[in-house]
Amino acid sequence: MSALNRGLLGSITSLGRSSIEVIAAVGRAGILLVQAGIGIPSREGIGLWVRQMHFVGVLSLAIVLVSGLFIGMVLALQGYTILVGFGAEEALGQMVSLSLLRELAPVVAALLFAGRAGSALTAEIGLMKATEQLTSMEMIGVDPLKRIVAPRLWAGFVSLPLLTIGFSVVGIWGGKLVGVDWLGIYEGAYWSSMQSNVDFIGDVMNGVVKSLVFGLVVSWIAVFQGYDLIPTSEGISRATTRTVVYSSLAVLGLDFVLTAVMFGDIG
Amino acid sequence: MTELPGQTATPTDANGQDAGDQDASSSSLGTESGIDLDDALIRVEGLRFTRGEREIFSGIELKVPRGKITAIMGPSGTGKTTLLKLIGGQLTPSAGRVEIAGQHVHGLSRRELFRMRRRMGMLFQSGALFSDLSVFENVAFPLRVHTDLPDAMIRDIVLIKLESVGLRGARELMPAELSGGMTRRVALARAIALDPDLIMYDEPFAGQDPISMGVLVNLIRRLNDALDMTALVVSHDIKETLTIADYVYVIADGKVMAQGTPAELNADADPRVAQFIHGKPDGPVPFHYPAPDFEGDILDGRESSAESSGRRQSS
Ligand SMILES: Nc1ncnc2c1ncn2[C@@H]1O[C@H](COP(=O)(O)OP(=O)(O)O)[C@@H](O)[C@H]1O
Ligand SMILES: [Mg+2]
Repeated sequence: MSALNRGLLGSITSLGRSSIEVIAAVGRAGILLVQAGIGIPSREGIGLWVRQMHFVGVLSLAIVLVSGLFIGMVLALQGYTILVGFGAEEALGQMVSLSLLRELAPVVAALLFAGRAGSALTAEIGLMKATEQLTSMEMIGVDPLKRIVAPRLWAGFVSLPLLTIGFSVVGIWGGKLVGVDWLGIYEGAYWSSMQSNVDFIGDVMNGVVKSLVFGLVVSWIAVFQGYDLIPTSEGISRATTRTVVYSSLAVLGLDFVLTAVMFGDIG
Repeated sequence: MTELPGQTATPTDANGQDAGDQDASSSSLGTESGIDLDDALIRVEGLRFTRGEREIFSGIELKVPRGKITAIMGPSGTGKTTLLKLIGGQLTPSAGRVEIAGQHVHGLSRRELFRMRRRMGMLFQSGALFSDLSVFENVAFPLRVHTDLPDAMIRDIVLIKLESVGLRGARELMPAELSGGMTRRVALARAIALDPDLIMYDEPFAGQDPISMGVLVNLIRRLNDALDMTALVVSHDIKETLTIADYVYVIADGKVMAQGTPAELNADADPRVAQFIHGKPDGPVPFHYPAPDFEGDILDGRESSAESSGRRQSS
């Protein structure tokens, strides 16, 4: 009886403790976002941001575009086999573009971005922390939240939507390669079904809004995990893993919420 | 376990007074040797700091005289680095006060704190150079962020600072290409780039070869004489530290155990001080981190490993 009680009490205690830890971490992450994200950038800050746009954005371009191409091609292949059964293969352009713009481009680009850029951000900031570079910067009188964290956060926030647009464009072109050039759909039909059925605000902009949210969330998780980690080699490896896991879960969860809000009343 | 802070409070208070008494006597002694503790750049009063359940400082009192080299010595793990971080405002004490040039460090806003730090340099134990910047850019960093000097002037200052640590020729190298001793010297050049009023050295001599050790000792002395900087050296290298320090604090068990000029400490009759200053391995100051009884610990280990190997065999 008392053993049972103690077991129960123990698990309640540890549940309580981990809840407090989670709440405290969320609080620290919030403070980091406010202190790093808000403020008027200096001319130098813009230079730092451009540099990070290169590391975070440009270097993720290849993996995102190649993935976009393949996903567009697969979509066209799968869509064709279904649509042709209804004699509706002319609608392939619409199907490929809507799937990409609304759903696949924002989500898949964000997942790839978390794996490629997010983990690198965490490891980089974490290593700076472990080698006391952040501390020494503070002692020089420069706030690492402004100098190190802010440009990376903003670079992630801005580059993911751009990468997502690239993903969609290449994906739609990949769909055309398979649908038109390989399976022989009439090219005019591929483009016109897209033109008449894709709404700029409803589809394109909603996709961009999604990718802005994902960009913020993934970069925020990545820089926070790096800034907040335990400065040892084990701490860095754990934080890097956490960045990928938490970002992926956050992206998929938020995607459902955003889809429900944006497109929930359509169906 | 929860009573621990309460228990330590009483002896600490007694010791705090103790330190105060010593202070008074040594400052009268100090005047003879040119040390005026009343003209202090840094004042630390009743400083307490706890990490987890372990109380690292239980009431530190010290004054760092302006324009002098003050050393803080103590066995590793006593919290010397922690003390520097408390003084620099990176850690917040659980009680007590740190004042630098009359400013209450832990009462400053983040902005004010960063402004104050421009007037101080700190040399980290690891050097902590920015790994993505060359040696030149590392030294130029404080100048670029805190001044509007033209590039030509920055270049001159950087080369002067690098020359003073003997590494002008290494300016194009990246931090990863430097040895440990070179890293420390570049970090020193960076720490003095803005000619700070105060410079704090964390273990400047640790892991240096005899030649760079001599160079560093001279350098610290010279910087102090030429630029009139106040220096705070934290170290467990007794011999080197005593040769450059004007005034010395020895900390142990979270308190100031002794203080005075090097000559005073050399002559100190207190067996704890003598053990530390003369580097005797045995004495009243424990060398070990708190641990259970050694013999018991080893036997325990044997029993449990015997048990587990027994279990492994049986399974
Ligand atoms: N980040 C930390 N977290 C927990 N304990 C720490 C941390 N840093 C140092 N300590 C502990 O604080 C004590 C003092 O450390 P430190 O100031 O580095 O000592 P010193 O510089 O005198 O060798 C040590 O016992 C160490 O184990
Ligand atoms: Mg130390």
